[in-house]
Amino acid sequence: MDFTLKIWRQENQKAKGRFETYKIKDISPDCSFLEMLDILNESLVNKLSHPVCFDNDCREGICGMCGLYINGRPHGPDDAVTTCQLHMRKFTDGETITIEPWRAKPFPVIRDLVVDRTALDKMIQEGGYISVTSGGVPDGNAIPIPKHKADQAMDSASCIGCGACIAACKNASAMLFVGAKVTQLALLPQGKPEAAIRVQKMVAKMDELGFGNCTNTYACEAECPKEIKRSNISRMNLEFILAKIVSEETI
Amino acid sequence: MKLIKFASITKKIALAAFGLFLLLFLPVHLGINLCLLREDGGEWYRNASHFMGTNYIVKVFEIVLLASVLLHIIIAILLTIENFLARPIRYKVATKTKTPFMSRYMIWTGGVIACFLVIHFINFYFVKFDLVEGKYSADMEQVDKHFQEKAIKLQSGELSEKEQASLMAQYQAISQVSMDKMDKNRKNLVNLTKDEVKLYCGEDFKHYEPDFYNMSLELFANKTYSIIYLLVFVVLGFHLFHALGSLAQTLGLNHKKYTPIIDVVALAYAVIIPLGFAAIPLWLMFML
Ligand code: HEM
Ligand code: FES
Repeated sequence: MDFTLKIWRQENQKAKGRFETYKIKDISPDCSFLEMLDILNESLVNKLSHPVCFDNDCREGICGMCGLYINGRPHGPDDAVTTCQLHMRKFTDGETITIEPWRAKPFPVIRDLVVDRTALDKMIQEGGYISVTSGGVPDGNAIPIPKHKADQAMDSASCIGCGACIAACKNASAMLFVGAKVTQLALLPQGKPEAAIRVQKMVAKMDELGFGNCTNTYACEAECPKEIKRSNISRMNLEFILAKIVSEETI
Repeated sequence: MKLIKFASITKKIALAAFGLFLLLFLPVHLGINLCLLREDGGEWYRNASHFMGTNYIVKVFEIVLLASVLLHIIIAILLTIENFLARPIRYKVATKTKTPFMSRYMIWTGGVIACFLVIHFINFYFVKFDLVEGKYSADMEQVDKHFQEKAIKLQSGELSEKEQASLMAQYQAISQVSMDKMDKNRKNLVNLTKDEVKLYCGEDFKHYEPDFYNMSLELFANKTYSIIYLLVFVVLGFHLFHALGSLAQTLGLNHKKYTPIIDVVALAYAVIIPLGFAAIPLWLMFML
């Protein structure tokens, strides 16, 4: 298959970026999107020009490092996959493919298609964990958890932190990301003790970092490679209301 | 930069809460409007307007309602600005992600409603505060009473020459008042301009009210106004289509059992309420 690629190139965070056009030929339909970019990069290196920078690591859809905005959709035209799991057969022969980095104020471009997603870690550092500092391994059945809650928490926990929800949202809102973590930990007995503080701190951090406000358009849900549901945002809102109105703990 | 220091979710919840109040008010307003269609010369409509204009509990709610409209709009604009700033460099390719259609245009559908509200306030609400002249009605009994009082004063010689003259003019005018200045039951003088109020009821008569019934009919007699009105309610339907489901989501109500029910109620609400409002000009245009 042949493609015309329009790719965002930007030397560093300060530089003014631009789109460059590349032609690429004889790509196998079974080639993954990142392999296709590898092939492009090889040809660029052979021509002694700079390869296109993009993030990736596991290439099996579990680490969340990869993430490109392809033809108007985070992770491209397939549903419930990461960019590394996207295949060229999802495109048509001869198609022009426009590749952009995630766009959001808290995600500055580092180079080309690589953005700085430290903002996600900063929000997790505000409370996306449980504070257990010592002790032995607890007995497996010591804390009873109903099956459906365990399942829901597991679904929320499947977030790989790729940032597609933010990239997809017209408001660059991080509420699905934060909501998933808040929900996961609020559903489990281990997370309960810190639930009221957690939601307030994480939301405050999210606002401070400059993410937008959710307006319930649910683009995040539609683009999440792990199919995390919008109910996580709703749950976060509820947790937030309860934390502010019922709980006496404030930040 | 956060425009106001409230948390994002606090703002969202406030927006939803004020929206909820508006959602509750719309059926009340619709109920009153539908009285226009009763062929009773506006009796029910006038009673309802009188109640809404004078009852003290309603007056408290009127303030809450005005605040709700204003704050709903202010927060909506704030959120929109913040959300715009959250992505300073925009994508070249417009989004292809499938999202509920109306959810993307809430600020625009809201903006159309806001523009209409301005017109609506100028047409009706400002008349109450004498900022704009409208049409007025007066209870005949009140007018009579006022006239009698003046007549007694006249006999005891308390009226100045000017007042005597105006009382004479009132007497003459009212004895020749035409039928279209009276409602069906001949209980009220209606459809009066400010000058006519002075003429028929006396210079210092205070008990007149805005005649919203005739003001409405006059507006709907204008084809352009009716068409704008219909379009606005289509747009309101769009806003409402997303509103109730969104409200539930914002307030933390997302539940396997109730969410599908809310979706059905939201759809029904978004169709029935605007249709109810639109029925009035449609009826007046095509049935009469
Ligand atoms: C009768 C009039 C109106 C009613 C009943 C109404 C009702 C609602 C409701 C219930 C919501 C959902 C709240 C949520 O998402 O949590 C909403 C959202 C919204 N409304 Fe209104 N509204 C009205 C007028 C307006 C006006 C005049 C504007 C003007 C700018 C406006 C702008 C918005 C926006 C931008 C949203 C979406 C924001 C978001 O989802 O975060 N609305 N409206
Ligand atoms: S590279 Fe790990 S998810 Fe794509």
